[in-house]
Amino acid sequence: MLSLIPSPTIQFKPLFPSKTIKPLKPFSSKSSIQSVLQWNRKPELAGETPRVVVITSGKGGVGKTTTTANVGLSLARLGFSVVAIDADVGLRNLDLLLGLENRVNYTVVEVLNGDCRLDQALVRDKRWSNFELLCISKPRSKLPLGFGGKALTWVVEALKSRQEGSPDFILIDCPAGIDAGFITAITPANEAVLVTTPDITSLRDADRVTGLLECDGIRDIKMVVNRVRTDMIKGEDMMSVLDIQEMLGLALLGVIPEDSEVIRSTNRGYPLVLNKPPTLAGLAFEQAAWRLVEQDSMKAVMVEEEPKRRGFFSFFGG
Amino acid sequence: MASIWTLQFHSLYFPHRVSSTVAKLRTEFTLSQGRLSLNRWSTNRKFQLKAVRDSASSNEDQNLESGKVAVAADTKTKDPVAKFQETLISLPPVAFVMKRHTRSSFAIGLSLSTAFLVIVVRAFIVRRSRYNRPGSVEDLVRRGQLRSDRRGISRPLKYEDPFNNPLVKVGKSNSTMEMCGKVYRLAPITLTKEQQTIHQKRRSRAYQWKRPTIFLKEGDLIPPDVDPDTVRWIPANHPFATTANDIDEDLAQNNVYQKQGVPFRIRAEHEALQKKLEALQNFNNCRHFCRHGCFYLLTIERVFFVQEHVN
Repeated sequence: MLSLIPSPTIQFKPLFPSKTIKPLKPFSSKSSIQSVLQWNRKPELAGETPRVVVITSGKGGVGKTTTTANVGLSLARLGFSVVAIDADVGLRNLDLLLGLENRVNYTVVEVLNGDCRLDQALVRDKRWSNFELLCISKPRSKLPLGFGGKALTWVVEALKSRQEGSPDFILIDCPAGIDAGFITAITPANEAVLVTTPDITSLRDADRVTGLLECDGIRDIKMVVNRVRTDMIKGEDMMSVLDIQEMLGLALLGVIPEDSEVIRSTNRGYPLVLNKPPTLAGLAFEQAAWRLVEQDSMKAVMVEEEPKRRGFFSFFGG
Repeated sequence: MASIWTLQFHSLYFPHRVSSTVAKLRTEFTLSQGRLSLNRWSTNRKFQLKAVRDSASSNEDQNLESGKVAVAADTKTKDPVAKFQETLISLPPVAFVMKRHTRSSFAIGLSLSTAFLVIVVRAFIVRRSRYNRPGSVEDLVRRGQLRSDRRGISRPLKYEDPFNNPLVKVGKSNSTMEMCGKVYRLAPITLTKEQQTIHQKRRSRAYQWKRPTIFLKEGDLIPPDVDPDTVRWIPANHPFATTANDIDEDLAQNNVYQKQGVPFRIRAEHEALQKKLEALQNFNNCRHFCRHGCFYLLTIERVFFVQEHVN
């Protein structure tokens, strides 16, 4: 669902405002902003860079990797430099979603072993040169636990001090569960994005994960509700977003509607946000990325209603 | 009195009774090429009526009625087209009816024609907007997806951020909006800071968790100075995790921080290979020397042996 954020001072603007709005800031000269929807301004980056964000959920299959890929590419398209880390040691799939599976030659395990440097393990996306992917390990290799978290912390420190400059965002795609992989992924993170779906099993796991994150010292936790069906919410077959918020008590970063285009984009290795024209889910991801940059959250959600009944005089355009 | 209509139309089948004025009316209904063509009414209504009324008489009426019966008998045997024609002919012309109630008829006619016109225009506009080439660049510019200033097709974008979205049509009262054919209402978030704090306290009570720092294989003993809550047990047959710590941590850290040059293991392997090659080369040289050296000694020995024999 798309959302509108009405701040107290700004009213909803009509479709075609009478005055022309001039851009507030000039665009960055490094990379032109080419987001799907052409805005007159760039989002203002809040917080200290690099912003290390872990995307987690607890329950598997709710859309963590999809969220990481789409939000990451949206951030890259807005002009920010992004490094996405697939912290799933055994089941790597962020590279599949991004269509980069044939280009991953080295992983963090090879870097630790001295087989390559860190910059050789980073895979740069050819579509957006300011987006890079780093995988922790190949599926058949074993990572010694105990310094998985330490190793990831070293990686983040090394990325901060690299020659081409520190990235603006480091997104860590956390594996499912609350096992060693989860601990590895959350070690270097300062913020968390919790992905959940509107079903009770996912909510219970999300609540548990939120508790663990807070115990570990991560306080800035925002929620993305994925696979929302507004028709089922209207028919009271699915929990509404407000109900979910009431249960978890977390600020909302985004609400992503159910979209069959997600599966097609996964199969193609072409994330949803790059589709033209954009789908509703792609637009929602883009808005979530915007809010992540500005450290903002949703102030209202959209609830589906019955359409207006067309009267007799609707023939006349009423 | 015979009806005016029957007198008129039956003149079609009784040509000897037709006056010149009625003939004019008759020509309005002609069958041309198998189709019934309805020409515009002539404006000589008054003239026709007058002619008809003048010729009406009781005798003629009776004849007409008998003729009407004869005609009715005939229709049963005629083809459907002729039958249809007769049905149409028997209907009273609208113009004559309208002439009786001029004002209300005019109003009804006007309102009906206006309604029809509005419907047609609206359908035309809708069809025109629907059959625009979908997915074209112009379509994208119109929807606000692409910049228009480079193309000069449409006016420039007039919103500052993605939350004033042209795809979303805001209602007049600003509480409902239409998007992709569905109507939505804005429901404000009701979560307050106090409620968030309550949830955090609830979770801190429910989930007491310490980050594990020691990973042990199942069956290993816990070291004495380690908090048992920070121990994580890993099964020995875990497919993707191992507790064996074969990697030197300092070395691993240096590998991660290395920015330039050949990576450590590659360099180490290269050096090892280099040494091996050198060693091999030395060994080959030595062997070669030994081989040649032995042959020379053997040669010298033979010479001495031969000399001794000779002597």
